[in-house]
Amino acid sequence: MLADYGYIGLFLVAALLFAVSMLLIPIALKFIKIVPQKPSPTKNSIFECGMETIGKTWVQFNFRYYFYALVFIILDVLVVFLYPWAVNLRELGYSGLIVALILIAIVVVGYLYAWRKKALEWK
Amino acid sequence: MNLELFIPEMSLAAFAIAVILLDFFVQRKGVLAVISLLGLVVSAGFTIAMWGGSPQAIFNDMLAVDSFALFFKLLFLGIAALVILASVDYAHKLAHFQGEYYALVLLSTLGMMLMAATTELISIYVALELTSISLYVLVGFLKDPKSTEASLKYLLLGAIASAVLLYGMALVFGFSGKTQLGQIHGAIAATSSTDIMANPGLILGIVLLIAGFGFKVAAVPFHMWVPDVYEGAPTPITAYLSVGSKAAGFAIILRVFSSAFGLPEWLSLNWGLIFAVLAAIGMTVGNVAALPQTNIKRMLGYSSIAQAGYLMVGLATVGIAPAAAVLGRSGVLFFLAGYAVANLGAFIAIIAISNKLDSDLIQDFSGMIKRAPVLALALSLSLISLIGMPPAAGFMAKFYIFSGAVQYGLLWLVIIAVLNSVISAYYYLRVVKVMWFGEPASETKVPSSGALRLALFLACLAVLLLGIIPGYIMNLAEAAARMFIF
Repeated sequence: MLADYGYIGLFLVAALLFAVSMLLIPIALKFIKIVPQKPSPTKNSIFECGMETIGKTWVQFNFRYYFYALVFIILDVLVVFLYPWAVNLRELGYSGLIVALILIAIVVVGYLYAWRKKALEWK
Repeated sequence: MNLELFIPEMSLAAFAIAVILLDFFVQRKGVLAVISLLGLVVSAGFTIAMWGGSPQAIFNDMLAVDSFALFFKLLFLGIAALVILASVDYAHKLAHFQGEYYALVLLSTLGMMLMAATTELISIYVALELTSISLYVLVGFLKDPKSTEASLKYLLLGAIASAVLLYGMALVFGFSGKTQLGQIHGAIAATSSTDIMANPGLILGIVLLIAGFGFKVAAVPFHMWVPDVYEGAPTPITAYLSVGSKAAGFAIILRVFSSAFGLPEWLSLNWGLIFAVLAAIGMTVGNVAALPQTNIKRMLGYSSIAQAGYLMVGLATVGIAPAAAVLGRSGVLFFLAGYAVANLGAFIAIIAISNKLDSDLIQDFSGMIKRAPVLALALSLSLISLIGMPPAAGFMAKFYIFSGAVQYGLLWLVIIAVLNSVISAYYYLRVVKVMWFGEPASETKVPSSGALRLALFLACLAVLLLGIIPGYIMNLAEAAARMFIF
């Protein structure tokens, strides 16, 4: 039984060695002058990582974004639950419809709550 | 599908939603407390109507409607009703959020009711999270630094415990290929013991399940959150946490371990031994750590850790002596009922006294018998019950659990438990001594509302009834312990 875990350990060692050697290869190649070194502003720019930031990245922003995000997540979850029901609409029949309506009603209460508690107002 | 068996839960959910909606329009927030109480009473009525019927399973065996679940549902509904009654006095501290407060108490009660009824790992997890997430929010309701700290600690540690629990469930599922407790039991019974031992997945899964559930019931060594959370949370919620969440945890432990891992005998012997060791450590750590406490909520926090230890003596009996499973289970059920009313009584009295004093320090309770005779008397009675002295409920509860354990070869554990009861008498009686013989700091009386006095009266009445004529509740507990559907 323990020998089975030994294989996992072997894989772990191999994975670590692979990762480390992949990191070392470019350095080794540079050391033996196979890789030419011609830096330019284009080559040094960030590759496929989005726009370069303007100003500091540690800025504060309005916490109301979180309210919107939370309210959106509720919608997201609702859709996730409604989708399997919608696919099987005919098989589930009226009982399925009633259950889906109950689910929607509960989520609507959540939205009513957010609305009445002024979570949707941007001030 | 028998949806009518699900009515207690559905009606409670409907009332919780109604409270949220009514909160938009109602100006006098006391109405919300009345509606919440009404919801609990309606749900309890439906539950009582089901008592005595043959056990049934609904939703493809995911929920059991047996006497065990019904007993716990009634217990949770009663606890929640007392907590809401006691919250009326406290509500002025949560001026803007009373609707949310009552709705969340109802929702976490709903979660606990589901916890007592679920017989399937995934729905156990969902019910547990419904309870926990409501409680995380409730703990932070005061919005002062202490309350926020308590809420954050509870959330982070609770999330880790949930992760551990899920990992345990995943391992058990990986071993048995089933999530339904009865089917897990079938899969284990179909495997030979050497195969189970050769493959540590199941054993590791059981250990992780104990760790995850141990967090919910505040068993040592998973108790680190208890003192801080109990101290920071609003006092009614502390009471609710200390009895409701703990009872729900024990309900689920009893069901999971009795139905899925109850047999074969060598397996239950092993987890019974784990619970026995946890019980011994828990009692000792809880009681010794409670000795130097100066804040009464913190002290009761450590005391609840110790009480979880006593309860685990019952779990150990269930595991070590499968022949005594019903005896052990009914002992745990009775102990939970007795502990719930005694602890609620203590906390309700503390709510009233702390409201006036604006302090939870034991020394400030000095001479309380002159300033608030009724409250001090009720608090003394509750603490005496927690020690386990007659005529209070705690005595009979400890008697049942310990006598069951002694009969089935757990004498060493009972000796530790009795020694611990003696230690615990010191810190409980210290509060009583301060209240009865201390000098009052001022002569002003301590006021309390009618709702709170009603809750206190009910709790103390239950403490005395369970202590003096325990037979009736004991019969109920025994019927509940016998009626397991899987």
